[in-house]
Amino acid sequence: MIRKTRQSISLILKILLGVAYVTPIILAVLFSFQPSEEIGAIPLHLISDNPTLEHFKYVLEHIPVLKYLKNTFIMMLICIPCQVFLASLAAYSFAFFNYKGKEFLFSIYLAAMMIPGEVVIMTNYMTVQNLGLVDTYLGMTITSLVGVTGIFMLRQNMKSLPKELWEAAKVDGCKEMTYFFKVVFPLSTPVISSMAINSFIHVYNAYFWPMLVTSDDSMRTVQIGMATLMLSDSSRYGEILAGAVLCMIIPVIAFLIGQDYIIKGMTAGAVKS
Amino acid sequence: MGKKNKAVTVPRKKEKFRLLPYLLLVPSLIPFACFTYYPFIKTIISSFAITTETGEFIKWAGFTNWARLFDSDLLEILGITFKFAAWNLVLTFSIAMVFALISANKVKGSKIYQTLYALPMAIASSPAAAIWIFVYRENGGILNQIFGTKIAWLNNPDTALFAVALVTVWTHVASSYIYLLVGFRNVSDDLIEAARIDGANALVRTFKIMIPMASPQIFFVLFLNIVNAFKAFAQIKLLTNGGPGGATSTLIFEIYYRVMKHGQYEYGCCLAIVLFVVIFTITRIQFLFEKRMVHYQ
Repeated sequence: MIRKTRQSISLILKILLGVAYVTPIILAVLFSFQPSEEIGAIPLHLISDNPTLEHFKYVLEHIPVLKYLKNTFIMMLICIPCQVFLASLAAYSFAFFNYKGKEFLFSIYLAAMMIPGEVVIMTNYMTVQNLGLVDTYLGMTITSLVGVTGIFMLRQNMKSLPKELWEAAKVDGCKEMTYFFKVVFPLSTPVISSMAINSFIHVYNAYFWPMLVTSDDSMRTVQIGMATLMLSDSSRYGEILAGAVLCMIIPVIAFLIGQDYIIKGMTAGAVKS
Repeated sequence: MGKKNKAVTVPRKKEKFRLLPYLLLVPSLIPFACFTYYPFIKTIISSFAITTETGEFIKWAGFTNWARLFDSDLLEILGITFKFAAWNLVLTFSIAMVFALISANKVKGSKIYQTLYALPMAIASSPAAAIWIFVYRENGGILNQIFGTKIAWLNNPDTALFAVALVTVWTHVASSYIYLLVGFRNVSDDLIEAARIDGANALVRTFKIMIPMASPQIFFVLFLNIVNAFKAFAQIKLLTNGGPGGATSTLIFEIYYRVMKHGQYEYGCCLAIVLFVVIFTITRIQFLFEKRMVHYQ
């Protein structure tokens, strides 16, 4: 009995700590429903007496949220399939074939990991600018079409597939690429899902690169659009918070649904154990 | 790495030259070549040259850019960057460690707080900045109301860097927490049970078993947070824009600012090389530590 009470007390304390940690999010949601006069009030009201949707209405009317969302989703539609497909091809090559120069080629990929994107970002911006790709979807996605971590994860997974599978497929007259598309690729679905969901949150939340390569309002992504709202008129706290809430909904839902995959994806590539 | 490859793949027969495995690499090698290796080499070359604002080579300049770099406020920028990294490291690591240790045991309901501790991972920099500007603002800001102070946290050179670091910590704790949690959950229950039977109390079990057994993850998280701090850009841009008076201008922000606002691409390249060297050195130290000290099962 005592043990049980102790356990539930500890559970409640741990949950309270969690709530404290996400307090900024809760506050943003609460305040985004308050009329402007109340937001600045001292002392703060947490729960408004007259909740309102005016800030959300303002944001939706004054900011082309749907257009921003469309741009973000087009970015994802280019980045995620490309990342998955290019990484699977490379991983397949490293996991299934023996050829001259394999170790050397693999080390080229390894070395690419040593050069952080942030170091070359301004030079890449110059390249994209000189190619005339500013304010194009190609320019927004071109630097994130392939990631090394994904290749490593997939390679690890493909190497764990039993050799007998390939032997059996070969007997049935299966060619290497058919084997890739019919067997290896489908069997990599768990890894691909965690890659995809991580990439989803990553692309949705990207700031630095999309900010550099978009100058036209019609090409802005959700993040850039919301940041512009924030920087343009910092006295409209209600609207800024409403924008922030709108901006957070999608990745938070993606996180809640895909939590386990995200964790798998993060840890698979990171530490050997 | 080499040994592993050979052990898994089929022993080499006398095969004729095959093009296919090379072809499979081409689609991923092209982006690497164009947007990782090429810009890296160009950055190095440009740091020894005079270029146009859009990065086109004009003529060689020898060490002029570098000399200018060391004459200028490089040390100050590095100081700010390291201070920022140190705060980020200490705070993120300690908070993530507490969260991970208290949720190491899977019990009924643990998923609830586990989700709460990990949730800010999904919050991007611009909504995070929006929320925290609200927390930090001078009039009616939440922080000032709680402490009864009247500080413009983001506009005061003494507090701005810490305020920005705190936002970074808030968003970074979540992923560090996940790595540590996985590390602690991997520790075998038998081992902990055995220690308990031998009379080891919770504190001893934590410090003598859990932490040493999860040392790979702990080291990984320590270094991850240092490197992440060097890469942090969006929160600085959105919260303070490098200000007030350059008090939050870290290396990465300075690179952006020099190139975009002053058109000094070649100077930005020098700073980018400095950033590369710093991150590279940290990663090398990480590898050394991993090899020597970390306990692998």
